[in-house]
Amino acid sequence: MLYESMSFLYYLNPEKYKLRKWREDNHRNSEQIVDVGEELINEHASKLGDDIWIIYEQVMIAALDCSRDDLAWTCLQELKKQFPGSQRVKRLAGMRLEALEKYEDASKQYDSILQDDPTNTAARKRKISILKAQGKSAEAIRELNEYLEQFVGDQEAWHELSELYINEHDYGKAAFCLEELMMTNPHNHLYCEQYAEVKYTQGGLENLELSRKYFAQALKLNNGNMRALFGLYMSASHIAASPKVNATVKKANVKYAAWATNQINRAYQLAGRGTKENKCSVKAVEEMLESMQITMS
Amino acid sequence: MGEVELSCLAYVKMYLHGCLFPRCSVNGLLLSSSPAGGTVCVTDCVPLLHSHLPLAPITQLALTQVDVWCAQTQQRIVGYYQANACVSDNSPTPCALKIADKIAEQCNNAVLLMIDGGKMSPDYRVPPIVMYERKDTRWTLKDKHTIMLRQWEETREIASQLLDSGDHSLLVDFDSHLDDITRDWTNQKLNAKIAELSSPANGNV
Repeated sequence: MLYESMSFLYYLNPEKYKLRKWREDNHRNSEQIVDVGEELINEHASKLGDDIWIIYEQVMIAALDCSRDDLAWTCLQELKKQFPGSQRVKRLAGMRLEALEKYEDASKQYDSILQDDPTNTAARKRKISILKAQGKSAEAIRELNEYLEQFVGDQEAWHELSELYINEHDYGKAAFCLEELMMTNPHNHLYCEQYAEVKYTQGGLENLELSRKYFAQALKLNNGNMRALFGLYMSASHIAASPKVNATVKKANVKYAAWATNQINRAYQLAGRGTKENKCSVKAVEEMLESMQITMS
Repeated sequence: MGEVELSCLAYVKMYLHGCLFPRCSVNGLLLSSSPAGGTVCVTDCVPLLHSHLPLAPITQLALTQVDVWCAQTQQRIVGYYQANACVSDNSPTPCALKIADKIAEQCNNAVLLMIDGGKMSPDYRVPPIVMYERKDTRWTLKDKHTIMLRQWEETREIASQLLDSGDHSLLVDFDSHLDDITRDWTNQKLNAKIAELSSPANGNV
């Protein structure tokens, strides 16, 4: 039933359907949104009914992303007219100021929202984004930590914090954030894989073994995750080559690495079929795997 | 000090890499098909990452694979480029220095190139790049007069053209390759397009 009504919607108004899909999936394909949205607003505004307001918001944000201040301004004016005094529209006005790099003014805008509503998470996060845009990483990290003490369940914030820590090379703290995310999202292969990458980067035998475990876990959750597959291969190879491991551990890791090699080769054989262009990258992988095997034994 | 020449192909792909991921820091490797000694001729580049630049595994993987490919195609890795997400700061990050150090171990006059994000718009008439070379153990700013871009106007024009036509989306970096391994990080298709645009037949010398 739902499938039928979706395709019916699409048939009726494909552009509107596209915009909705992009909203729901949280896609940041701003150029496309501007293309589709601008036409919709200019040509078909009357037919959009109440959806027009959410479309104005979506198009405005996309327009800011594409430096289309003219379009963003138009959308903002329409929203201001329709929703005077709205916090949500105030936030959009703040975002426009950010896009124009008027960070002081934007910050004031968000402060005024927070005065009326101290729990407004969107305004708080925008303030942190300003710090990030200004390159003030240490402050952004501090503010984000404070925010998370209050809003412990905000996944997006935890992930943002992990990224900030990675950029500051603070891998221990990045790992902590990713551990939070893995706990609340045990089926998300990307968090497992990112955690494994951080552990690998930290280095040392213990971290390498952890990284191997989590690369393997990511693969279990999604066997198409190439980063996890390569990661498993590399971590297992390094462990096997380490003078600190006993024969049993070495043997096990040689097996893991061999399995991973197999899988990688198969994946690349499949990928290389047909298209001429991939031959270069396929050959590079083959040789690389061969050369790494030699150093391992 | 040593002279460095940057080819149209290398510049255009670096530039497009930055344009394709305007919200991310991006990096890549600079290659040369010329023999060692004398002027460093950067003839090509391989775009690497647009996410998690400081993390080790994928960087190591990419360096190894590009190394192998270079051996197969008679090229050498002669440098590293990076464009920071934060446009106001184009100084080399610790991870940039680390990777550049590693490259310098194998290549005497390796270069570290930072793309100045703030100067990438068409209004700027000069290449938006800053180059560093290794003196003793530190990376120091290179004298602008030792950096050559032949046919800069044509190169700039080609980069703009590809951006306008949307062809920059043809560019595949190593990150994108890992998302879909049927995509070619050696960018044969894009290379051909750039060669076409820069051929004498198009009025470019």
